[in-house]
Amino acid sequence: MTMSFSAPLVKIQSLHKSYGPHIQVLKGLDIEMKPGERVVVIGPSGGGKSTLLRVMMGLEKIDSGSIRFGGKPYISSESADKKTEIDTEVRRSIGMVFQHYTLFPHLSVIQNLILAPCKVRGEAKASATKRAQALLERFGLGAKANAYPAQLSGGQKQRVAIARALMLDPKLMLFDEVTSALDPELVAEVEQVILQLAAQDMPMMIVTHDMWFAKNIASRVIFCAGGVVVEDGPPEQVLGAPKEERTKDFIDRVFHIRH
Amino acid sequence: MALDFSIILRFQEALLLGLWMTVKLTLICIVLGCSLGFFIGLARTSRSALLRAVSSVYVEFFRGTPVLVQLFWIFFCLPLILGVELSNLTSGVIALTLYMGAITSETFRASLKSIGPEQLDACVALGLPRRVQVTNVILPQAVLRAVPTLLSNCVSLFKESALVSAVGMADLMFVGQNISNNTARPIEVLTVVALIYFLIAFPLTRAVTLVERRVLTKLAI
Ligand SMILES: Nc1ncnc2c1ncn2[C@@H]1O[C@H](COP(=O)(O)OP(=O)(O)OP(=O)(O)O)[C@@H](O)[C@H]1O
Ligand SMILES: [Mg+2]
Repeated sequence: MTMSFSAPLVKIQSLHKSYGPHIQVLKGLDIEMKPGERVVVIGPSGGGKSTLLRVMMGLEKIDSGSIRFGGKPYISSESADKKTEIDTEVRRSIGMVFQHYTLFPHLSVIQNLILAPCKVRGEAKASATKRAQALLERFGLGAKANAYPAQLSGGQKQRVAIARALMLDPKLMLFDEVTSALDPELVAEVEQVILQLAAQDMPMMIVTHDMWFAKNIASRVIFCAGGVVVEDGPPEQVLGAPKEERTKDFIDRVFHIRH
Repeated sequence: MALDFSIILRFQEALLLGLWMTVKLTLICIVLGCSLGFFIGLARTSRSALLRAVSSVYVEFFRGTPVLVQLFWIFFCLPLILGVELSNLTSGVIALTLYMGAITSETFRASLKSIGPEQLDACVALGLPRRVQVTNVILPQAVLRAVPTLLSNCVSLFKESALVSAVGMADLMFVGQNISNNTARPIEVLTVVALIYFLIAFPLTRAVTLVERRVLTKLAI
């Protein structure tokens, strides 16, 4: 790691985001993430968790606030004209996997993986293919390299999507409810892959409704509601013994368990 | 009245020439019309209001008027307006290309629209530059999705092309009509002409169904 230990990997300051004039979703969010941290974001439906991740991926404009990444300015909207500035170079070091399947259906698995490395970084096809094959083997998908997305199960598609993002060597991975569209028996295989990444200290921000997964992967949990951070702390605290009343209510209501 | 299909054999050569004209006209207009249609389809989803307006007036006009009227207009009015003589083939090509461009632009527009926004999200998340997004992700999917409908557009064009006989182009229909008038054998001649159209169009419509099934299973994520 080139950064000093204390420097934050991500620093979100006073982030405001609305959709149109009436739907204010993020109302002044402040989050700091240290290198190697795995932050799980939980909160009520419609609370802006997906919006937060989409903003961090550079997919949405913001109203005001700023995000710094690895010490560099990444996203900001501070000038008078309210234009969202996104540093696309910095954006390249962030990877994201979505709730819905987003593989390119007209490309085979291996073509999905090598498209960005070849086109964005100009990597040679042979070397990208070699790396892709190795990654697929690691995720138990070695035999599926030449299959098309339509021939894969939901769990396989999500594992391919994770592999595709990893091909660009991201410094941060964003996961937005990547297992919630899956049949229950396929959830574990995807979570195993993410746990594998966690074991290698990949920094990640994860939105999930899966309590078991949250507890196992998080180094920190953030409870977001009403567009602000309500509680932020280690998993034992936020999931086990929340300090805030609203967190307590949410955990009781949604997860039914607390210990 | 006794039917005598053997007279067809006497006119074999003329019918073949007519068929060749029909096929040639159709193929030329498929290539030109589909290319035109693709760009018009893009223009209709463009950010420029002017491009959108011009392209939609064009499409709505050609979809909302009879092809026969369009043909007559191009054959008789266009040369007057331009002040130049246009050969029959040129006029036929212009007319049917404009018709084909209008209907295929709708096909392309629908297929462009069917590509979900999540595909674009994935492109951005992978850092793909705009050029790569268009040429490697959007265009191939749009074309693949359009193929079944484009094939039926081609079949329509092939059938509609018979209208050029009304302005005196020597296509299959025109030749058939001539033979039938000269021999007073409309039943035999026109039945054979219908069969020829059918034998070409029918396999194509079957192909549409097959291709459609394949494309859909491939693109269903
Ligand atoms: N593109 C959009 N246009 C308008 N409103 C939107 C858009 N995307 C999200 N919203 C609204 O913003 C709010 C926050 O949505 P968001 O998807 O970020 O919530 P979430 O916390 O991810 O919820 P869930 O747990 O259901 O996924 C919701 O009220 C939603 O309806
Ligand atoms: Mg969400």
